[in-house]
Amino acid sequence: MVTAFLCAVLLAQTPPTSEESASQESIRHFETSVRPLLIEQCQKCHGETKQWANLRLDSREAMLKGGDNGPVIVPGKPDESMLIRAVKHVDENLKMPEEGKLTDAQIDSLVKWVEQGAPYPDGAVAKAHHRDPNHWAFQPMTPQAIPAVQNTAWPQSPIDYFVLSQLEANHLTPAIPADKRTLIRRVKYDLTGLPPTPQEVTAFLADESPDAFARLVDRLLDSPAYGEHWGRHWLDVARYADSNGLDENVAHGNAWRYRDYVVSSINQDKPLNQFIVEQLAGDLLPHESESQLHAHLIATGFLSIGPKVLAEVDQPKMRMDIVDEQIDAVGKVFLGMTIGCARCHDHKFDPIQTADYYALAGIFKSTKTMDTYVKVAKWHENLLPSAEATAIQAAYDQELATKKQSVEAFVAAADKAAKDGLAPGTAAPEKLETLYPEATTAELAKLRAALTAFETAGPDLPTTMGVAEDEVTDVAIHIRGDTQKLGNVVPRHTPPVMRGAQVPEFNTQSSGRLQLANWLVDPQHPLTARVFVNRVWRWRFGRGLVRTVDNFGLLGEAPSHPQLLDWLAQRFVADGWSLKSLHRLMLNSSTYQQSSIPQAGTVEHDFDNRLLGRFSLRRLTAEEVRDSLLAVSGQLDSTLGGPVLKVKNRGYLFDHTSIDLTDYTSNRRSLYLPVIRNNVFDLFQLLDFPDPAIPTGDRAASTVAPQALLMMNSEFVMQSADKLALRVQAEPGTTAEQLGLLTRLLNAREATSEEIESQTKLLAELEQSLASAEPDSRVRSQQAWSALCQTLLAANEFIYVK
Amino acid sequence: MFPAGYTTISRRAMLNRSAVGFGSLALASMLGQDARADAPARPLAPAAPHFPARAKRVIFLFMSGGPSQVDTFDYKPLLTRDDGKPLPFEKPRVQFNSTANLLKSPWEFKQYGESGLWVSDLFPHVAQRVDELCMIHSMHGTNPAHGGAVMKVHTGSDNFVRPSIGSWVSYGLGTENQNLPAFVTICPTLAFGGINNWSSAFLPAVYQGTPFGNAAVPSAKAEVKYIRNSRWPREVQEIQLRQLARMNLEHQSHSGPEASLDARISSFELAFRMQNELPKVEDLSGESEATQKLYGLDNPVTANFGRMCLKARRFAEAGVRFIQVTHNDDKVQWDQHSDLKAGHEKNAKEVDLPIAGLLYDLKARGLLEDTLVWWGGEFGRTPTAEGGGTGRDHNQEGFTMWLAGGGVKGGFRYGSTDDYGYYAAENKVHIHDLHATMLHLLGLDHERLTYRHAGRDFRLTDVHGKVVTDVIS
Repeated sequence: MVTAFLCAVLLAQTPPTSEESASQESIRHFETSVRPLLIEQCQKCHGETKQWANLRLDSREAMLKGGDNGPVIVPGKPDESMLIRAVKHVDENLKMPEEGKLTDAQIDSLVKWVEQGAPYPDGAVAKAHHRDPNHWAFQPMTPQAIPAVQNTAWPQSPIDYFVLSQLEANHLTPAIPADKRTLIRRVKYDLTGLPPTPQEVTAFLADESPDAFARLVDRLLDSPAYGEHWGRHWLDVARYADSNGLDENVAHGNAWRYRDYVVSSINQDKPLNQFIVEQLAGDLLPHESESQLHAHLIATGFLSIGPKVLAEVDQPKMRMDIVDEQIDAVGKVFLGMTIGCARCHDHKFDPIQTADYYALAGIFKSTKTMDTYVKVAKWHENLLPSAEATAIQAAYDQELATKKQSVEAFVAAADKAAKDGLAPGTAAPEKLETLYPEATTAELAKLRAALTAFETAGPDLPTTMGVAEDEVTDVAIHIRGDTQKLGNVVPRHTPPVMRGAQVPEFNTQSSGRLQLANWLVDPQHPLTARVFVNRVWRWRFGRGLVRTVDNFGLLGEAPSHPQLLDWLAQRFVADGWSLKSLHRLMLNSSTYQQSSIPQAGTVEHDFDNRLLGRFSLRRLTAEEVRDSLLAVSGQLDSTLGGPVLKVKNRGYLFDHTSIDLTDYTSNRRSLYLPVIRNNVFDLFQLLDFPDPAIPTGDRAASTVAPQALLMMNSEFVMQSADKLALRVQAEPGTTAEQLGLLTRLLNAREATSEEIESQTKLLAELEQSLASAEPDSRVRSQQAWSALCQTLLAANEFIYVK
Repeated sequence: MFPAGYTTISRRAMLNRSAVGFGSLALASMLGQDARADAPARPLAPAAPHFPARAKRVIFLFMSGGPSQVDTFDYKPLLTRDDGKPLPFEKPRVQFNSTANLLKSPWEFKQYGESGLWVSDLFPHVAQRVDELCMIHSMHGTNPAHGGAVMKVHTGSDNFVRPSIGSWVSYGLGTENQNLPAFVTICPTLAFGGINNWSSAFLPAVYQGTPFGNAAVPSAKAEVKYIRNSRWPREVQEIQLRQLARMNLEHQSHSGPEASLDARISSFELAFRMQNELPKVEDLSGESEATQKLYGLDNPVTANFGRMCLKARRFAEAGVRFIQVTHNDDKVQWDQHSDLKAGHEKNAKEVDLPIAGLLYDLKARGLLEDTLVWWGGEFGRTPTAEGGGTGRDHNQEGFTMWLAGGGVKGGFRYGSTDDYGYYAAENKVHIHDLHATMLHLLGLDHERLTYRHAGRDFRLTDVHGKVVTDVIS
């Protein structure tokens, strides 16, 4: 195996030849700078529809052949190429394009392209970049037969047949099954984000029944930690944050309700179609109970929780920016499409037109997201009606009435005193207040100010970020995205290129969010289920079947296992959109249960593990690192849900003082730490927590030096090491036994005798090096243990799941 | 196909296993004995520019809040003449606040240097270096609020999270000193976009800026998070790291192929080197008294910003690619909606001498030639009055930024505003154009410096930007 790995390394060392990279570079140049230019500036008159001067500029052949005046390019020789002479205006009678000279940069791009030999990739690539409506992801899913395999003993799950058939087609063999210790650590992290306890490991090892693993999976799926872990995956794509970010970083004081809604939906195994509809149109759904009504209203927080430029002075622009953010999120999250690109122009690569964009914009402009657009703008919150809310309102109303009455009474008394004080025969002025003594005026002003403040503050009712219906409207195309340059009004519709789902009808009575949501979850929709099961695959196996999980468009990658993707998506729908069923399907498979160590030959053929011939190692996520440190050191507080911010709703997390008002000291799971845009908790930032302003289905896993500094120097890591050391040392037994426990806690395995020996020596060495700094031998021993624990916590074995 | 940086790192990992034995080579480099001998091809390795560069690095002196152009570098005699009269043309459709009539500058302007450029009395020391400056009087942006405008200046976008210009530059050029971050930002403000202004957004995390403190921290106390250990003597950390290297190599031998395992081993080596190196670069005690004085470290008014400038020079010397220094107090420093006179005077006093010192020092050390110094705020201010006639509002329609060194013309003015300094008029330069120009000076074509994300190629200048060739020497 090691040999195989080394071979792979040697292979990997061969860099691409300079020719290869040169041609890649020139094609990239062509695709990014030249092709769009030719399409936009030249092909209207020299392309498929018109061929002025009998010239076409839409293929290399056509340009070499030329038109009435002969060939227009001489590859490698821009000066001799008529195309270049024309755009440079070299000859008086040949100046192109007729609408006006290209920019210098554009001309340079063309010159460079001709110098590079004028590469013009055609066929599939050309088509792929031309908004191809026949792109696979827009086609309805087709039923898939389970493929035949040679090694029929290997598959446990239908998934395995799809995987194995491709491995076999490539003459590869799957890895051997992972051992039970590896498996329990892997699945515990995958489902709950936490390490297994030594007791869990022992119990699983002792369970020799054939369905031991399946029952372990069921047990983990039933634990609340499952929803906390998988809810967090959804919060990544939902761009969840407890603050607005961008310019006015104010608190989303009620965002936690949406977070808890997500966690509880996942724990309940709420069907995904219902989960999606609630987030887009919960406020429009019927409800059977107060708690359901609350869930529905809270769910629409999905549309409201994006970042907003709240001090945007250009109000129409702010409104359309917010609509844009919603379209962008809905497009990426549910459709895996970058629809936002079509705001200013037809999508460059996908068959999404500007009109399609503004058709969706109509839906969201007919939706009330904001109460006011006046800077600093305020987002809308829905009241969560309840007996408690009614009582709060009633108490408030009563207090308000009392306050008003007391002001009135005060005025009446003062008026009377003023009148009484008038000299007989003097006419009372229109405003008696002008006669009040100074003290009375001041007192009245105070009372009135208090009343106004009370009225402005309003009752402190339970509310939730979310949307409501607004005035229903269709939206005009904004030319180049400009709110001041309007084109034709576009009736609301769904992008016509996505075929299969029942096309919804929009009306003048409702925004159309519910129709949009129902269209998305139509079982025949070509994207929704595919995109979702692919996300789950990514969260489980580290990479999606479609690796560009947030982009299924023409610039996205093709699926590695297209039949498997379609089969899974259809099975998911048939299973009632149940995420837990999908987990069982994936986890109870031989594919999932493989070792991370590949068979000989696999790596040479499949370095990236696209064919799934082994389990891919993964680094723990930011939350998993923190939660694991807390868990193994016995500090984890497993309280569920609830608010976390100390700043009140809409209050500033950061104003211009740059003083951080957020508190991260809690020992609760990382899910419950505040997610502050513009200043994400540094431990999270360092470990690739996604930018909470952007939907992210594919977190990075970077490896940079500041992460190492965190593990080496942070108080949190050192304190966790202290606690871990104390925990282990509190265990009765010899040093060797205590070290054994340490390895069981951290790595779910037994330490080897060599390790125990080496760690014992290390403790002595550490104690010695602490001798000059610390005179107390007991403290020294404690510190040595702590330093050892810190080292083990920083080690790859602890930080990676294999 | 393979992750960047995989191959060379692995070559070394192989050496560890085969030739030299278990972990000893890794350890040698970890302890700084031979830090650069086997410098692996990391993503931050110095990269060739697209074409020959005029500047190798950038120092951005960011004046948070928006200094007023008509009170600093954009001399407008008609504004003085017509003080108190209405602006004789329309104000923009979108304004931050409403303003009243024209307000003349409370400061005198004079001509300086051989170039005879005008500078107000606010910047007497910078004025002495005016022949190094390339003033762009026709800057304009898109957003009149701090948040949007600050993000625009830093990232090219005012409503999306995008990589910072420093991240783009690090991505394009790597860095010359692998023991230091490529992109540092000293005392940045956490308001108005906060970390988004130095984040790498969708670019890989290695390109993000490393903050030294923030605007709430005095520059003397500003340091990189986790850069020092409060508890362990160095010897203990060495033992820890040696053990860690041993365990990681052992783990790697039975866990299957994964490129980042190697990378993580190297990351601890780099971290240890950074931990040793950074405090040395930050330590100003070796600077002569004359130099400290040059930056105003001897005066409490100038010491805070002066220290940032001096650190910036040291980072520049040490090979850091992009260095930002932010002038931001516990308010929005240059944001004088009222009390312009007192506010701008205080602000200018804090920065004038240190900036002049930095320019002088860079020049004297031969660094100015390939260091591009960039001065400016997120926008300028209106020539019309606000705050009961004592202040000015935000103005993104026309303002001044200046560049120095790094291939720009010294003692040069480019573009102009109208007679009153409200709108950019002649040779307008948008923020995108300035970004394009700066990248150009660094040898990068802003249209080719792209990164594929979420299905399309992104660039700093989005679909805009034109290189202003006239400012290049």
